[in-house]
Amino acid sequence: MRNRYFIICFVSVAVCPFLLQPLLPVKHVGSVHAAQLELFQALMAEDIVSNAPYHPTVVFSVKQKKAVCFTVFNQVPQKLIIYHNWYHRDVPSAKIRLTLKPPRWSTYSSIELNKTDIGPWRVEITDETENVLEVLRFSVTE
Amino acid sequence: MENFLLFISTIRWQDIVDISVNSYILFRFYVLFRGTNVFRVLIGMTVLWFLQRIAVSLGLIVTSWVVQGIVAVGAIIIIVVFRNEIRRVLQAKNLKSILWGLSYKTATTPTEIIAETVFQMADRKCGALIVFPGKEDLSGVVQGGTPWKGLITREMIASIFWPDNPVHDGAAIVQGDQITVVGTILPLSERDDMPSHYGTRHRAALGLAEATDALVIVISEERGDVLVAKGNRLREIKQKQTLEKNIQEHLGTAAVDKGAARKESLEIASAAMLSILFITGIWFSVSRGQDTLVSLDIPVDYTNRTAGTEIIDTSVKSVSLVLSGSGALVKSITPDQVGVRLDLSKTSVGRNTFTITSDNISLPPGIVLREVTPSEVEVYIDETIQQELPVQIDWVGKLPDNLILLEAITDPSSVKIAGSKSIIEEIKTIYTEKVLLDELSGTGQLTAKLVLSPASLKMAPGYKDEVTIQYVIRERE
Repeated sequence: MRNRYFIICFVSVAVCPFLLQPLLPVKHVGSVHAAQLELFQALMAEDIVSNAPYHPTVVFSVKQKKAVCFTVFNQVPQKLIIYHNWYHRDVPSAKIRLTLKPPRWSTYSSIELNKTDIGPWRVEITDETENVLEVLRFSVTE
Repeated sequence: MENFLLFISTIRWQDIVDISVNSYILFRFYVLFRGTNVFRVLIGMTVLWFLQRIAVSLGLIVTSWVVQGIVAVGAIIIIVVFRNEIRRVLQAKNLKSILWGLSYKTATTPTEIIAETVFQMADRKCGALIVFPGKEDLSGVVQGGTPWKGLITREMIASIFWPDNPVHDGAAIVQGDQITVVGTILPLSERDDMPSHYGTRHRAALGLAEATDALVIVISEERGDVLVAKGNRLREIKQKQTLEKNIQEHLGTAAVDKGAARKESLEIASAAMLSILFITGIWFSVSRGQDTLVSLDIPVDYTNRTAGTEIIDTSVKSVSLVLSGSGALVKSITPDQVGVRLDLSKTSVGRNTFTITSDNISLPPGIVLREVTPSEVEVYIDETIQQELPVQIDWVGKLPDNLILLEAITDPSSVKIAGSKSIIEEIKTIYTEKVLLDELSGTGQLTAKLVLSPASLKMAPGYKDEVTIQYVIRERE
């Protein structure tokens, strides 16, 4: 996996998703895995401040240096592994392993931006069996 | 011997037809114009044309220009000067006589009556001028005259030249079995070696004979002599039989003896043979000369692709052909006359290798393929499929610092694409054209074209190549 320019933040934050909900536009709640794991919210943001996504957006300027993929899961039955797969123009750039813990869990990953990252991106959020729970699309511009 | 047989085997039926048709055209030209000045001038023009070719091959630039100019001007002069002869051949004769017949004669001239009457008039010292046109048109040479169009009889000839008849001083023109014109004025010969006892009538007879291929009979009013003018000769005829024979020979109706008939047949056969040899020679020099080589880059045309498949890649887009042929044919080749076609009807999905042979190459007649580079072509064929793919906006530029693009969705969110299976399987997203952020100042909507790359990809039926983008912009907190 090529992640030389990534700062991989698999800082898992056990925050209450219900507190975050009113702040954020809900990005199409993802599919449920095995009727137990529920992806409640997924979005791109400029940063994480106080365990919450700050400035949700779909366009990142390289001057902002950072892009964050933030996910909230409900009904986590047990300790699970999920992945944030980052693609730049359909080319895999990073596969970040994140751990979820019951009963609810929020977690995020981020990349550091530079000029070579300009262009369209997507993040595929998958479970351990590569089942795609959600796809987030954004662009990196000048 | 083997080479000869090999050569014979390369002759096509079209070549035989080509030579035959042109030989016959040349032969018919000879038959229609033989004995006329047109034919002699045509021969002269042909000689000039050969001289010009020789001058060109020797590098005599000015000479070749001059001869070329003479030939070009000469062609126009022929048409203008000999328009009457050409018109006579093309209009006066029926189609059969132009294409097939060997004689122009349609009505037999009563030569015996004419000869008898001429000598009877000579005995009475009744002057006369009787013209028998040859193959040349007389209308540009003679002047005046009264149309007559009467069947030839002894009494009619005698009455025309009777001294009290107003037209007796002019000439009578005989065509077929009719006297067509009387009282015609003939051009006078300017020769100064004519006997002193010859008068104007003799000079007129010789004048027309010199200018045309006509035969003119003169009856001297003073001496009662009968003379015949033909070419530049004016000779006295003493006997009726001799005169009759002269007329018949001129008109081509003489009861020719076996030797003469054989001679004429031989002449026609020789002309036919020469026509064939001449055209065959030209055909060989033009179509079978192999002295010039040319190299052409020709695009390969891939045809008959199986339905549901697509060409992904080919090892070459064009091949280099080395062709040979005569200089004239090689110079006249245009790229659209040469084609390289590969039939893909029997190909399978994957890599297919073709060896280019002469069967794949179409060439103009007379041009021979010497070499093909490369001789092998690889064609990659793939199955054609349709696939639904998500659409993603390709944002570029920069929003003002105080704004943030919160959300953007496309309608439709996915589109169906048709194309090669191997290509489509590699594609995960269809991107829009670049959408500029700089011009956005608030929430809104816009349209953007989709970018299909590679160009072989197409939108599936029912799908448009553009999407609507709805975007939400907020001020930064």
